[in-house]
Amino acid sequence: MFTSNKECVAMLLAGGQGTRLYSLTRDLAKPAVSFGGKYRIIDFPLSNCINSNIDTIGVLTQYQPFYLNQYIGNGQPWDLDRLNGGVFVLPPYMKNKGSDWYKGTANAIYQNIQFVDRFNPQYVLILSGDHIYKMDYSKMLDYHKEKGADCTIAVINVTKEEASRFGIMNTNPDNSVYEFEEKPKNPKSTNASMGIYIFTWEKLRKYLIEDEEDKTSSNDFGKNIIPNMLNDGQKLFAYSFEGYWKDVGTISSLWEANMDLLDENSGMNLSDTGWKIYARNTAEPPHYVADDATIENSLVTEGCEVNGVVRNSVISSGVKIGKNVVIEDCNIMPNVVIEDGAEIRYTIVGPNAHIGKNAKVGGVCNKDNLKIAVIGPNAVVAEDQVVPMGEMVD
Amino acid sequence: MNNIMSIIFASDNESKLNELTLHRTTASLPVGGRYRFIDFTLSNLVNSQITTIGIITKSNYSSLMDHIRMGRDWDLNRKNSGITVFPPYASNTSRSVSKGKIEAMYGILDYIEKATEDYVIVTNSNIAANIDFDDVYNKHIETGADITMLSYFDKPTSSRRVIIESDESGRVTGSRITQNISDKTEEIGLNIYLLKKSLLMDLVTSCYERGGVDFEKSIIQQKVDELHIHTYKVPGHAAMIDDIKTYFEESMRLLDKDVRNDLFYACGKIFTKVKDSVPTIYRNKAKVKNSLIADGCDINGVVENSILFRGVKVEEGSCITNSIVMENGHVYPNSSLDYVITDKNVTITEDKKISGFETYPLVIVKNKTI
Repeated sequence: MFTSNKECVAMLLAGGQGTRLYSLTRDLAKPAVSFGGKYRIIDFPLSNCINSNIDTIGVLTQYQPFYLNQYIGNGQPWDLDRLNGGVFVLPPYMKNKGSDWYKGTANAIYQNIQFVDRFNPQYVLILSGDHIYKMDYSKMLDYHKEKGADCTIAVINVTKEEASRFGIMNTNPDNSVYEFEEKPKNPKSTNASMGIYIFTWEKLRKYLIEDEEDKTSSNDFGKNIIPNMLNDGQKLFAYSFEGYWKDVGTISSLWEANMDLLDENSGMNLSDTGWKIYARNTAEPPHYVADDATIENSLVTEGCEVNGVVRNSVISSGVKIGKNVVIEDCNIMPNVVIEDGAEIRYTIVGPNAHIGKNAKVGGVCNKDNLKIAVIGPNAVVAEDQVVPMGEMVD
Repeated sequence: MNNIMSIIFASDNESKLNELTLHRTTASLPVGGRYRFIDFTLSNLVNSQITTIGIITKSNYSSLMDHIRMGRDWDLNRKNSGITVFPPYASNTSRSVSKGKIEAMYGILDYIEKATEDYVIVTNSNIAANIDFDDVYNKHIETGADITMLSYFDKPTSSRRVIIESDESGRVTGSRITQNISDKTEEIGLNIYLLKKSLLMDLVTSCYERGGVDFEKSIIQQKVDELHIHTYKVPGHAAMIDDIKTYFEESMRLLDKDVRNDLFYACGKIFTKVKDSVPTIYRNKAKVKNSLIADGCDINGVVENSILFRGVKVEEGSCITNSIVMENGHVYPNSSLDYVITDKNVTITEDKKISGFETYPLVIVKNKTI
């Protein structure tokens, strides 16, 4: 086998359960959740990598990995089927001293030190699979090199109120980090960590091994590795990212991120050809819009049949919409069937769900107090059934 | 089914598609919003596990090469088997490229012989159909035919269709090549044949030696008594195109749900080159009725009874009716199209009213700005 050195290897943490997405992640890992009509959340970090000329990516999986494994496959949709490098799915495995689940984010990388070492990289990029954003990691890497940093943490400016929900980086005027606070009650700054790190591999390797020896550690980047490096006086820098970035870890944030695709001023422009987001193709014909249909301010993709009214919604591939249906402010995931006369508002409908005739799902709610209804994957809403706003059907 | 190979003819010798095939083969003619004609043939073959595929080209084959590349989008980038594209072939003794299918196949007899498969499917590429070749093969064995020719029932809407005459069992007793359009529904040959490879090689060699050029005339018509030729009626919808009129009519039939189900789902999915387009965005002024819309479009105007290919932009106040707009078409505000086919990358600037007629749609050639 031929492997040559890589300057930077990306490690994508995709093992999280995503419990706050409830039934949407019952059978699959959060990064595999459908987004924006024809994408999966993981398409964003994978496409960002290939667009940033990073072609060697380890994807760390643990929770419900089958769908994600199959989706990634040989990495061809992202141009990651490479002779040297490419995309590798890395589940926990047995070693001669036993085996372990990934205990934390840092432990997941620790257990794959051998994988990273095979490419002998100078730098390692740590990513997570639960954010929607377009980012050029190569600029962040240039910054890391320019600063001579041991660790560079991407940060985004959030509001004072939001800051207490994030890990906050307190920095000196030169952007070097002097303090890291996890979800502070009284934040000193508004530089929120985006969960994107570049480490000089030699340094990270050492800290991972030390952290593993500490039995009290929770083996987490935010809780252990970053504070330990700060305590030791290592050079940590914050890299300010400006642009659209959204955590899609909750029902309302996932809904909002989908709606942002309909807003020209949101900052997330999928059709920007200079930074394409790639996805695995479903081989469906173009969508058909019938005589009785009305579609406004919405995204519709391949394989759909639209006979009803669709407003302010994201309709994923293969969705069948019957006559006299009204869909407003919804995200409908792939292959959902909606029978005649159903009305759906402010709802996320999971893949392959079936909405019966004249059913009423969700209702108009205030954007400041979102009550998004959720119909789980493969769930069935019966004829004439009423699902009140904010309710969940499994 | 791994005992069948296939030979596809990328261009039709007597095609009358004029402007639409100026820069491309019939095989790479865009169809159905996101496909090329050859996608149907390739997908049908792959869905029946037929993966040794030779494509014979005649001219202007760069768009075909660009579409197929290594065949990856049809899972045909295989170690053993896969796609082989034959550029136009001219033998030492003749100055022109092959005149007909027989001469073209004579030129690649080596390739046909080397293939390990015992059977061969010979097909044109001006066909849209969803065909289960496993079933075709089973019927071929069952009937004990020498040649199985695929057929469908339709009115001969264009000249040069092969009308099949057969007995009750389905054995072909004769065939004629129409010169006129007729209103009577007939059994029409699809120009797809299944036969033993050894028989094909014998037929091609002997016909070539006698100066035969045309597969239909020299073999199907002349050897109808000598050989057992049997028909196989394609169960779902099938379409053949050979001029602008049939291209337009067959395209518009895709607005019928049953036709779409037959063509896109009946026996397997139809694959095509992946372009990573974004979902289509409908803006507030969009009014779309009875239309087939591919991904990557940006619609803020009126679209009715039309087909939009990938990446078409319809601006506010513009109106597209009864038309086919191919990839990356752009219609500026207050312009309209009615019974128009625009080829790839056509731009219609502001305040233009362009219309053709139902029986004679107007074609705007590739890359034009009006």
